[in-house]
Amino acid sequence: MYRAIPDEILLECEKPARYVGNEVNIVKKDPSKTDIRFAFCFPDVYEVGMSHLGLQILYYFLNRRDDTYCERCFAPWTDMENKMREKHIPLFALESQEPLKKFDFVGFTLQYELCYTNVLNMLDLAGIPVYRKDRTEKDPIIICGGSCAYNPEPLADFVDIFYLGEGEVLYDEILDIYKSFKKDGHTKQEFLERLLDIDGLYMPQFYDVRYKQNGEVEAITPNNTKARRTITKVIVKDMDKAFFPEKQLVPFIEVVHDRVTLELFRGCIRGCRFCQAGFIYRPVREKKAETLLKQAESLVKSSGHEEISLTSLATSDYTCFEALADGLLEKFKGKEINLSLPSLRVDSFSLELMKRIQEVRKSSLTFAAEAGTQRLRDVINKNISEDDILNGCALAFEGGWLKVKMYFMLGLPTETDEDLYGISSLCDKIVEKFFEIPKENRPRPVTVNASASCFVPKPFTPFQWDAQDTYEDFGRKGQLVKNAISRKQVRFTYHNTMMSSLEGVMARGDRRVSAAVYKAWQLGCRYDGWSELFDFEKWKQAFEYCGLDMAFYANRKRSFDEVLPWDHISVGVSKRFLIEEREKASKAETTPNCRQICSQCGAKCFKGGVCYDKQ
Amino acid sequence: MTNNNFRYRFKFTKTDEMKFIGHLDFMVSFQRACKRADIPIAYSNGFNPHQLLNFASPLSLGYTSIGDYGEFQLTKEIPAEEIKERLNAALPFGVRILDAAELKKEAEKVMTSLSAAAYEIEFEKSVTPDTIYEKLGSFISQNEIIVLKKTKHKIEDTNIKPDIINITDISDNTAKLKAVVYSGSVRNLKPESIAEAFMIYTGLEFFKNKNHYTRLDMYMTDENGKLVGLLDGVEKI
Repeated sequence: MYRAIPDEILLECEKPARYVGNEVNIVKKDPSKTDIRFAFCFPDVYEVGMSHLGLQILYYFLNRRDDTYCERCFAPWTDMENKMREKHIPLFALESQEPLKKFDFVGFTLQYELCYTNVLNMLDLAGIPVYRKDRTEKDPIIICGGSCAYNPEPLADFVDIFYLGEGEVLYDEILDIYKSFKKDGHTKQEFLERLLDIDGLYMPQFYDVRYKQNGEVEAITPNNTKARRTITKVIVKDMDKAFFPEKQLVPFIEVVHDRVTLELFRGCIRGCRFCQAGFIYRPVREKKAETLLKQAESLVKSSGHEEISLTSLATSDYTCFEALADGLLEKFKGKEINLSLPSLRVDSFSLELMKRIQEVRKSSLTFAAEAGTQRLRDVINKNISEDDILNGCALAFEGGWLKVKMYFMLGLPTETDEDLYGISSLCDKIVEKFFEIPKENRPRPVTVNASASCFVPKPFTPFQWDAQDTYEDFGRKGQLVKNAISRKQVRFTYHNTMMSSLEGVMARGDRRVSAAVYKAWQLGCRYDGWSELFDFEKWKQAFEYCGLDMAFYANRKRSFDEVLPWDHISVGVSKRFLIEEREKASKAETTPNCRQICSQCGAKCFKGGVCYDKQ
Repeated sequence: MTNNNFRYRFKFTKTDEMKFIGHLDFMVSFQRACKRADIPIAYSNGFNPHQLLNFASPLSLGYTSIGDYGEFQLTKEIPAEEIKERLNAALPFGVRILDAAELKKEAEKVMTSLSAAAYEIEFEKSVTPDTIYEKLGSFISQNEIIVLKKTKHKIEDTNIKPDIINITDISDNTAKLKAVVYSGSVRNLKPESIAEAFMIYTGLEFFKNKNHYTRLDMYMTDENGKLVGLLDGVEKI
């Protein structure tokens, strides 16, 4: 078969399988016989992108249409990028190996703020002008979705359409309109204007941003009469009726997650105040256990994977968890299929279950404590107590687990040094708990791996107005915790502080930040989320060049009445609710979860999910 | 092999995009295909049970093959022809089972049996059919054929001539050699070493990845000392 990259170049690059396609369950179509060509791009390396459930769903969702051919494209690693530039090979899609420039749509999923330079780089490698204003009728339409699309402004100058919400909802309508517009000879501009009729799509060119003297946004206003003031995300109401592929692409090389992924539900009932996913994906919508069992069966059969992962934001909150776990164990008995249960709350029930599913191999147990003291956990509405953790650990140690992972955050709002010392003392207490069990029941030593991320305030959370710590603060705090840990069984690491700083800038950036992203990319930034390629000096240079101050975006406290760069976008959760939550956080007051009581966050407007379940 | 499993050996191809898949990744892909085909493959006991599946010898990244061999144990007896059909329906494009047979319990393991392999070397354009016609004879009749072999710790001159069984000119419009060489755990030669030695001999610069290598078949030695295919020579049921 034709390959875009000559064999000898492929063989000189790391992991050539990233670039040749041909995987099991790949969709093959004759591009000349389809009306619409859609390139689904993941702005990171193949192994990361292929582990993304959204890609797997949308790939088959779009390809179920006979008139559409959806192909994949990943960011080439730097070794391949250099070869492609040297040999003038344009970026191509894996299936047909044809250049992206030939496509009708080039779509990116934005899962992480530090992939933005990769988006620009991929467009450039494809020979597509990076800036929207430089593109012509001949160029593909650039559409972006994913969690980072909820603050689209840092990419607003480059992208034609931001898709806000879940892909299954609008793509059929978009593609139908596109097809008829293309047939009737309408222009791209006419097509984009037509899309103004659909809620959930944001076309930045139809909105102007004005700034105040002090740099704050003054107003974001439509410049087209059809453009709506607020664009609201779209969601699937009934997850049991939603499209879900019976197949999964199975890569030939090891990727981050080599397994069947079952999606138990979308959304989260908890409302942890730092967690963007907990707000933007509301309300919780579950799949029935029987739906999942059916999907598990066909996915295992068609993939040949030996592991099923149950994914969601909090697996223990799945109301049919017991029925599902029992059903899966029954179905795959004696078939050498493992179950993996990420995001599981550790209690006696889950430990009993884990004993059943992994008789011999005991992996580590994970607790996301997030903060070191009860006060700070109340501030962030993280509903887990020290007793929960210590009792969970005691049960785990008795059950034979000897590795504990702890997740924390540095720099949470209202944090003091006392909270930081809380992290070290909690880790030490876990080790002490281990020594409480009789010596004869301790076959091997315990290890506690504690890691801390640096808190990044995100849009659509109660902390969206808060100042982020500087990277110097993060560094001091990380060292403070590290030095305070006394037990040698505890290993403490913390995330790259400068990377977290940049993430903070991007997360709450406005449209002016587009210029800095462009400049940073020109200076050679790409793969900013990869520590071996991350170059903070270049980013500083880029911001300086554009006359922008990173601290203005990351480290500045906003007032509740400031116009935020994403104020024209709605995830259903109201600003009023977020303000209330922020005020409760200041008083360390918690908010009950969605199943205990409805707190009137606003997500009820979507007319589905947990908001309409019997309380 | 003191168990009640049923042993099968199969001959297969690895062509097209599959040449970019390294040996360990290929193993995993093959295992998944067995799962998809619902082949009742037996698992090892122990802490990390794995499929009882082996290949005769890894194929280097970038090589294709039209004659590789593998072996597995099943918990149920299935006609070899059915195994071939079911696997072919599940295997990725570029991998095909050409033949399969059930083995006697006492048959030697495929990795141990392997003694030689045949390769085709298709040269890049700088080597012409004429070059081969003119130089092959004198190349082979050298007392020693020396290449630099890299091991983990050192680089040293190695005489590869004793590892070569025969080389034939099979050029058509492009320059091609067929080389039969010793292969397996005792003695092993990669065809790229022959290509390297030949190109240096003819005064050309050698780039490993510009030539193309195909494994044509793999052999065992029968009781008369003759080379026979790994499926032809084995004790079948």
